Amino acid sequence: MRERTARIAGSVALAALFVLPLAVLALQAVADSWSAPGVLPDNLGTRGFDVALRSGRAGEALANSIVIALATTVVALVIAWPAARAIGMRFQPPPTVFVVALALPLLMPSYLAGFGLTEWFIRLGIDGTLVGVVLSHVTFALPYAVLILISGFGRELNSLEEMAAASGVGPLERLRWVTLPSLRPTLAIAALLAFLVSWSQYGTSLAIGGGLPTLPVAMLPFVRTDPQVAAAMAILFLAPCVVALAVVARSARSPL
Amino acid sequence: MVLFGGALIGALKVSLIPLGGGAGDATLDSWTDLLRDPAFRDGLFLTLRIAAVSTVLAAVAGLGLAMALRRHGTTSRAVASLPIPIPHLLVAVIAVVWLGPGGLADRTLGVLPFDVIRDGGGLGVIGVYVYKEAPFIALLVLGSMGTALAEREEAAAVLGVDRLHSTAWVLWPAVRRPLVIGSVIVAAFAIGAFEVPLAIGPNYPPALSAYAFEATSGDVIAGEGRAAAALLIAGLLATVLALVAVRAARGVDDA
Repeated sequence: MRERTARIAGSVALAALFVLPLAVLALQAVADSWSAPGVLPDNLGTRGFDVALRSGRAGEALANSIVIALATTVVALVIAWPAARAIGMRFQPPPTVFVVALALPLLMPSYLAGFGLTEWFIRLGIDGTLVGVVLSHVTFALPYAVLILISGFGRELNSLEEMAAASGVGPLERLRWVTLPSLRPTLAIAALLAFLVSWSQYGTSLAIGGGLPTLPVAMLPFVRTDPQVAAAMAILFLAPCVVALAVVARSARSPL
Repeated sequence: MVLFGGALIGALKVSLIPLGGGAGDATLDSWTDLLRDPAFRDGLFLTLRIAAVSTVLAAVAGLGLAMALRRHGTTSRAVASLPIPIPHLLVAVIAVVWLGPGGLADRTLGVLPFDVIRDGGGLGVIGVYVYKEAPFIALLVLGSMGTALAEREEAAAVLGVDRLHSTAWVLWPAVRRPLVIGSVIVAAFAIGAFEVPLAIGPNYPPALSAYAFEATSGDVIAGEGRAAAALLIAGLLATVLALVAVRAARGVDDA
């Protein structure tokens, strides 16, 4: 009985610590007037979202962020797949040297990557474009994608593919019926991480994007000046993360 | 690796060659200017302090959270993992709403005795990192707390090992590695992070990435070089820290 009470108390504490702050964020987003020392807002309204969409270019920023994050995810997975396959099929677990080399970009400040790539991208004519921002995000999304996908490839998958090949199954069918289903959970997690890494990128977007607004770049000035607008943008910022999480959780269970 | 290498070479080039110059114009002026700049020195100390404090607190809180969640089910673990996919900037907004001047903490507890948002010591920034990273470390540590560990702990208990010794000899060796890896990732992120110090960090001294951003916003030609040099130092610090920590963890494992 005591253990059950402690467990319930623990669950309540967890909810208070991790759910309540997000719930208050939603309240702040619609609090048009919230005078101190009131614990609840005086007036609810849509000023936060109106200003975010009008002055903060939140709509354009949201669209850009979605396109960039989806494109980054696809590019990172396409590049990561052969690299992870080559490493994972030969070495399990991968040698430390590979892991360290792959993890190096993760140790670098994101603004450094954006800063260093700017001149090359100006020469290539992709500075300030969606393509430029996607490529700069790939710098950070790719290591996660490769490191996670490596764990999906290995002797077990190799044996399955060899058995399928010996049974006369062609390469495309092998991919469709053997490789993809085996890699499904790993692929889903790699995709989620690549999406989230791109979604929350600030430094590279600022350095490469120029005037191209993404949600974090559009949101930051309001964090310092107008908490209601920042909270409204935060809700827009949070929604795709939750959707991505739900999609991945689902695709990790059901066939692709 | 091409993009990453290109970024490093590009930043190094900007730090050595003034804007519009050729290879023959290479100079160390940006680096000497940077090292002489008191704002850089103050920013470096602030960055290291934020990284050290937030890493230690996140590691301790993460370990505690993992211990608390160990016997909880999937729902509790999912709730505790909520901050992981949430972007840092969003957690900074939560910090402003709760801890900023006139925020909910002020309203419910009366005026806070000290500033948390934009304070000189970077308390708000540390708070955001701990809130965001402790669940991440907890998740890594929980991965090593499977049934195999429970069986070893049971075996130790049957052999009469007390709780303190069981923690030192059975639990600690199992959780040490993910704890070190998680802490390295947190520290490296805190050294190079940009948006949280810019949003809720102190106006002075600026964290290293914020210093770089401010340098480019002021004097474009000299500022670019100093910004690149400051960012390279931040990257170097994070890399050295990671190598030392990984080596130390391996040394302890081998001992």
